[in-house]
This record gives sequence, C-alpha cells and structure tokens, in this order.
Amino acid sequence: MATILQYLVYGLQLGSVYALLALGYTMVYGIVGMINTAHGDFLMIGALGTFFIAKLFENFHVDGTYPMLIVGLIILIAMVITGGIAVGVEAIAYRPLRNKPRMIALITAVGVSMFLENFPRALPFIGPNPRPFPTLFINRTFRVLGASITSTQVIMIVLAALTMVALDRFVAKTKIGGQMRAVSMDKDAANLMGINVNKVISITFFIGGALAAVSGICYASAYPQVEVYMGSWLGNMSFVAAVLGGIGDIRGAMLGGFILGIAQIFATAINSTFGYAVGFIILIIILLVKPAGIMGKLTIEKV
Amino acid sequence: MSMLEVKDLHVSYGAIKAVQGISFKLEEGETVALIGSNGAGKSTTLRTISGLEKAKSGSIVFQGHELTKLKPHQIVELGIAHVPEGRRVFARMSVDENLRMGANVVQDKAKVKAELERVYEIFPRLKEREKQLAGTLSGGEQQMLALGRALMTNGSLLMLDEPSMGLAPIIVEDIFRIIRQINESGTSILLIEQNAFLALTTASHAYVLETGRITMEGPSAELLADERVKAAYLGA
Repeated sequence: MATILQYLVYGLQLGSVYALLALGYTMVYGIVGMINTAHGDFLMIGALGTFFIAKLFENFHVDGTYPMLIVGLIILIAMVITGGIAVGVEAIAYRPLRNKPRMIALITAVGVSMFLENFPRALPFIGPNPRPFPTLFINRTFRVLGASITSTQVIMIVLAALTMVALDRFVAKTKIGGQMRAVSMDKDAANLMGINVNKVISITFFIGGALAAVSGICYASAYPQVEVYMGSWLGNMSFVAAVLGGIGDIRGAMLGGFILGIAQIFATAINSTFGYAVGFIILIIILLVKPAGIMGKLTIEKV
Repeated sequence: MSMLEVKDLHVSYGAIKAVQGISFKLEEGETVALIGSNGAGKSTTLRTISGLEKAKSGSIVFQGHELTKLKPHQIVELGIAHVPEGRRVFARMSVDENLRMGANVVQDKAKVKAELERVYEIFPRLKEREKQLAGTLSGGEQQMLALGRALMTNGSLLMLDEPSMGLAPIIVEDIFRIIRQINESGTSILLIEQNAFLALTTASHAYVLETGRITMEGPSAELLADERVKAAYLGA
C-alpha cells in the first residue's frame, strides 16, 4: 500500500511535467494546426533560463535555497523569457509558412528544434555540459501512510494543478480565451469578427512557452540537472500525452500527461527498461479504440 | 463620394487570375448585387475587400480609407461586416457565444446588449436556441446566426456571400425578407448570389461577373429585362 502510494506520488510528479508541456503542444495544435516539435525545447530554455536567473539572484541565497518571494520572481522571469522566445519563434519561423502545406511547417519545426538545442550548446557560457539545477523549494520530507513525500513534490503538483485550472478557466471565460477558441475553430471567420488573429496566435505561443518553463522548473527540481538536450525526449513524451488525451483539447492534455506519468513510473517499478515503452503501448491501444484520443472529438466537416 | 469604390482590382491565386481588373461602386444605403456563375470571382472579390485575400493591384476605398493595405480585423473595425460563403459559424460555441464574438470590435457594453436584443428580435429562432451549440443548428438557422453575428459587428456595410446556398426555398424567402429589412434600417448591402432573379429583385444596382471581369452592369430592373441576362442567368 505504502509502495503504491509512493509510486503514485512519483507518477503525479512526472505527470505534472508532461501535462504542463502537453498543454502547450495541444494549444498550438488547436490554434494553428501544426505540431510544434520544438515545444520540448521551450522546457529546456525555461530550465536553463532559471539556472542563470537564479545565479543573478545569488545574493539572496540563504541556507541553500531562496526566500519564497525571490523564488516566485525567478519563476515569473523564466516564464516571461521562455514565453517571449516562443512568440519570437512563431513570428520568425512559423508565421510566414502559415498558409503553406502542413508538412513544410512540420519540417521547419524540426529545424527550429535543432537550432534551439545546438545554438546554446555552441555559446561559450552555456555549452554542452550538464549543470546542477539550484534548489528552489525548501526540501522537507513528510511521512504519509508509510510513503515519503517531499515538499518539492507537493509544491510541484499543486503548482501544476493550479496552472492548469487557471488556464482552463482563462480559455473558457475570458475575452481572449473566447477569441482563442474562435481562431481554433475557423481562422477566416475569426478574422471577420474583427479578431486580430496574429495577436491571438502570439498569445497562445506565449502561454505555451510560459507553461513549458514551469514544466522545466518542475522537472529540473525533481531531477536537478539541466543541459541543452533535456527537452527533446520530454517533448516527445508530452506529445504522446497530448495525442493520448485528444490533441487540441486542453483537459485531454492534462489527463494524458498524468496517465502517462503514472503509467511510466509504475512500469519502471516493474521493469526499468519497460518504463518508456509503456507510454507508446497505451497510445497505440487508445488510438485503436478511440482514434481521436480520450477527450478528442472526431471532426466531421459538414458541407 | 461613394461609400465603397473598387477600382481596377486584380487578385490571383498563384498563376490563376481570379479577378482581372474589376471596378464597381456602392452608394450609402444602397443594395448592390454581384451576380455570375461559379468561379466568376465573386467570392474572391468579397474576400479581398475584407482583407482575407491580398490584392495584386488596384484599389478599394471604403469611406475614404484604402483597404488593400489593411489587416482583416482593421477592416471590420472600419465598419464592414462580411457573412462568408458557407456560413462558417463557430460550431462548438453556443448561439449566444457566436453572437458575442461578433461584438468583439464594439467596446461599449450597453451597445452590445442593445445589438444582441435587436438580433434576437430579428431572429426569434436564435433566441429559442440561445444555449444550443451552433454546429447542431439547421442550415437555415446557421445562416440566420451568421447574419446575426455579422450584424453584431455594428458595421455600416454588410457583405453577403451566397446567403441562399443550400437552403430550402421557403427559408431563402425568409432570409431575403430579413436582408431587405436590414437594408431599410440603413445598412448598405453588397450581395453575391448565384440565384440571379433573387439578387436582381433585392438589389437596386447589379454587376455581372464572368471569369474575373465585369461584363454588364446597370440598375437591376434593366438587367432583369436584358435578353442576355435572361438567357444566361434567369433560365428564361
């Protein structure tokens, strides 16, 4: 029982990383219909950015960590920077190709991903070597029903959950959220409603990038090492999570992320090499039973 | 000065020249129709006025503003409402949400509310289906919603692309009665129709488009009586 609870906590922790990243994938797909394979690299930028921002705040360093307020500030700056880079990527690389065949945007995204990984690698002050990630959250361990849960895990899971609820409400209730839904359903019609489609797409990329930064911070807090390729595998896994949940659907991405995280942890517990495969096995089964994903709706075009 | 003046407009899709130098005018308060068969360039003309397509050359002046360099949302803000071909309602939004999307460019909340009430008054059917998802409406209801949504933008010129498409004759009659009513309340209308008889009996002035060029124009009554129009478009 204690072991199961322990694994569940690990699963939720990994799941929140996947879910936060999958949200960006799914939102971008929903709104511009492209698979941004470079999305995982936004996670790396967020984590690596946090590493450098934390360095800038070194003076506030006490007892191996930072005051809460400073941690909040560091996370906020990392989110804004990563969001800004995501907006820049869209404006420079994807916007000129928006009305071209999808394959072209997909190949461009692969190129963007390579650039985002290898450009920092070539920069002398970043380089290819992994760096230790700073401890941002106070690390205390609680014993709950025989399982040990760290404060970092609790903070991560709560932070991820709050972010997701906030995003869901934002899209459902606010004016910008409504515009995002309109653009995702029909860009021409959205244009004719006086919606600034480019602005809405930029906002979507910003949110996606900012969430990827949170995801990167969560991941690096759990596995405290950052390097330029860290986003690529995590990006793939969260893409699987997004498809699993039904790509384009926000709640689906969250659900997919948690399912994948928990499944991976339990599978790894059984056999350590089995962990990564299980995500794909679940994906294949779900797609066979429900091709549009768990929450996805198959769209039938009515003419 | 005319409300809308299109001069020597050219639009291409790659190598295909969809619109090849058309010019026409619309006066304030008027209903003008563009008629012609499939592929004549009618929809392209409207889409270019709205900024959805880029003009290759020529000018479009609306109330003194040159539109060819503007973004679609800026054109909506200037007061041009466009009901696109095939209705294009937001299928996974409710009727109410769809209408409110139309009010995006209107800042004044009281005005939005008043406009919403007016639209529900014009289309009581939409009021009944307020909370229903737009994708589940019938074709006629969707056309009403598309019209209502365009009215919500509070434009002074309403452009309609084939409002009769795919609808039963009795519903078409209903829709056109409402279009005339909208025009009488002061909104200018630019109408595209394949159904030439319907277009010519609604508009005061009309232009005939053939493969991207205007081949005939004049007051609707004259075109209705014209032998060539009769032969080509009225099936008489």
